[in-house]
Amino acid sequence: MPGPALLDRRLLVVTGKGGVGKSSISAALALLAARRGQRVLVCEVNAQERVAPMLGALPSGAEIREVRPRLFTVNVQPREAMREYGIMTLRFRSLYDAVFENRVTRYFLRAIPSLSELVMLGKILHEVQVEERGRRRWDLVVLDAPATGHAMQLLRVPAALLDTVPPGPLRRDAQWMQELLVDPERTSVSIVTLPEEMPVNEAIELDQAVRGQLRMSRGALIVNALPERRFSPTEAEQFSGLTAEPAPLGPAAAAGRMQALRAEQAARHLARARAAIDLPALTVPLLARDAWDTGAVEAIAAALEPQL
Amino acid sequence: MTGPLSARLREKRIGVCVGSGGVGKTTLAAALALGRALEGGKVLVCTIDPARRLANALGLATLGNVETRVPEAALRAAGLEAKGELFAMMLDVKRTWDDLVARHAPDTDRRERIYRNRLYQQLSSALAGSQEYMAMEKLYELATERDYDLIVLDTPPTAHALDFLDAPDRVLDFLGNETARTLLAPAMSAGKIGLRLFHLGGTYIAKTIARFTGAEVLSDLAEFMGSFQGMYEGFKARAGVVRALFAQPEVGFVLVSSASPRSVDEALFFHERLRKEGMPVAGVVANRVTSELWGEGPLPGAPALVAALAASGAGGEALAERLARTLAEHEVLARADAREVARLFSAVPGAQVAVPRLDTDVHDLASLARLAAVL
Repeated sequence: MPGPALLDRRLLVVTGKGGVGKSSISAALALLAARRGQRVLVCEVNAQERVAPMLGALPSGAEIREVRPRLFTVNVQPREAMREYGIMTLRFRSLYDAVFENRVTRYFLRAIPSLSELVMLGKILHEVQVEERGRRRWDLVVLDAPATGHAMQLLRVPAALLDTVPPGPLRRDAQWMQELLVDPERTSVSIVTLPEEMPVNEAIELDQAVRGQLRMSRGALIVNALPERRFSPTEAEQFSGLTAEPAPLGPAAAAGRMQALRAEQAARHLARARAAIDLPALTVPLLARDAWDTGAVEAIAAALEPQL
Repeated sequence: MTGPLSARLREKRIGVCVGSGGVGKTTLAAALALGRALEGGKVLVCTIDPARRLANALGLATLGNVETRVPEAALRAAGLEAKGELFAMMLDVKRTWDDLVARHAPDTDRRERIYRNRLYQQLSSALAGSQEYMAMEKLYELATERDYDLIVLDTPPTAHALDFLDAPDRVLDFLGNETARTLLAPAMSAGKIGLRLFHLGGTYIAKTIARFTGAEVLSDLAEFMGSFQGMYEGFKARAGVVRALFAQPEVGFVLVSSASPRSVDEALFFHERLRKEGMPVAGVVANRVTSELWGEGPLPGAPALVAALAASGAGGEALAERLARTLAEHEVLARADAREVARLFSAVPGAQVAVPRLDTDVHDLASLARLAAVL
C-alpha cells in the first residue's frame, strides 16, 4: 500500500454497494481517529443522515456540528453547497441571493450536468484544504460516499469537467479538486463489502474503476459482518443429522448448521475478494445486535482498531 | 407451483419491482418472470442492473437493449419444463433517450443537432431521474407495442425510492423550464453558436451565472434548449400517457425489502406514496429473512445441551457452549428480523411473502425456479 496509513491521510473516502454498512464503518473510523487526538469531520451526502444519529447525536444537517469530542459531522446537500460555493465565487452574498435564491438555483443544479456533484464535492474538498489561523481546520475528513454508481459519478466529476469544459472558473475548480483526489499522500478510497456474492462482485468492479477510471490511491478493503469460523467441518456435518432432534438440541443444531454454512460461504467470498483486490483486508465480525446504534459503532471500532 | 404473489400477478400484465438498493429486486423480478413462464405465457423481464449476473443466471451470454429469449435447452438443462416463453432484456438509457428524441424530432437535422449537443450527451447519466424516466418510457413502449402476457420491470437502484415516481416530472420540468427559457432566450434565438457571449450578455442574471459557470456552459445549455423548442409539448403529452399507465389496474407494484429497518422504512414510504397516487400494489416481499428457531421461553444454556449432545454421540462442554451461544445470537437476529417483517406486513395489504435466507445464493435457473415457487 503506497502512501501513509489509512487515518494519516487527509481525506478518507468510504464507498461500496448499498446496504453493506458504509455509514457505520465511516463512523467507527472517525471515532478511532478522534480518540487518537485528530480533529475529524465526517461528510455525508445521504438524503437521510445516518452518522450523527448512530453516534447518539441529533442530525447535523447542513451545519458542521461536534457530535463527540473532536468528531464533527455534516450532511452536504446540493442546494446549501451551491449557495456556499456561489457566495465564494461571486464574493457577494447579496448578489448571490438576488441571482440564485429562487427557482433558478434549483434549475441550474439539474441543468448543468454534474454541477450539483461538483458543488458538493467542492464543499467537501474545500474542508480538506481550509486553514484557520495558520493551521488546518481538520486533520482528517471522512467522506461517507454514496453507493458504487453514484460514488463513481461524484468522484469522476472533476476529471470529466477537465475533459469538456473550456477555461474559466469551473475548470479552475475542477483542476485543484482533481489534484487533491489523485494525490496518494493526501487521499485514499476504501471499499466496504459484505462477504457475499453480489457485494464482492461489485467491490471487485469498483476497485478496478477506482484504479482505472478515477486513478485514485486506494486505502483498504473492509469486509463487514464476517461470521466467525466457529465449528469444524466435522462438527458442522454432525449438526445436519441433529436438526430434527427435540428441543433444545434440534434448534441449537439448526442454528449451528446455518452458522457453519454461512461462515464457510463467507470465507469463500472473502478469499475471492482478497485474491482479486490487492489491498490489506480489514475484517469486522458479524455482530448479533438488533439495532444499529452507538453500541454497534463502538463494537466495529473495537474490531478495527488492532488492524489499523 | 407458485405462491400468493405469483397468483396476484396472474391478473396483471405488468409487474414493477420497487425498493431500496441491495435488497434483491433484480433476482426477484427474474424469479417472478420465470415462475409465470413455467406456468405458460409469454413473459419478459426488463432489468436495469448493469451486472451480467442476471444474464448468467438465465443462461444467456449477455443482455442488451433488445429482448432475448431464454433458450428452452437452458431451461431443460436446469430440469425445468416451461409451458410458456421467457424473454429478458437490459435497459439502455442512452438508446432509449435517442429513440424518444427521434420519435419527437420534426426532422433528421434537428435530431442530429440534439444528438451532437454536449449537454444532451451527458443527460442520460447526469440528469437526476433520467434513468427512471427512461425505464417507464421503455416499459410503456413494450406494453403497447408487444404482446407479452406479463412484463416484469426491475427499477433502478435509486438513492431514494421516491425518485421513481417523480422522475418524469423532474425531467420535464428541466426540459420545459420557463425561467430558463426567459433567461436564455437571447442566446436561444441566436441559433448560431458563434454568438454565444454576446447574446448571453443580454441580462445581468445571465452575466452573473456565466461568471459562476463560464459562458460556454450556458451557451451549450441555450443551444440545447433551443433544439428542444417545439418538441416539449410532444414529450409532455407522451410522459402523461406513460405515467397514466402506472395507475391502471393491469399494473401491480411489488414492494421489495430486506428485514433491515432502513430498507423497511423505504418500502413503507414508497407504499404510502403509491397509495396516495392511487397506484395498484400487488404485494410485498421481505427478502432474506432470518427465521426464528426457538419459540417463547428462555433459551437453553450450555448445560442443557451437554446431555443431549452426549446422547447423540457428539459432544463436549466446549461444543455445547458454542452451540448455545450460536442459537442465542441467531435468535437476536431472527427476532429483530421478525419485528421488522411484522412492521412491513402490517402496513401493506395484498400478497405478503417472507423469503427465508437461503442456504445458497440464487445464481442459476434452478435456484431461480425454487425462489419462484415461494413467491
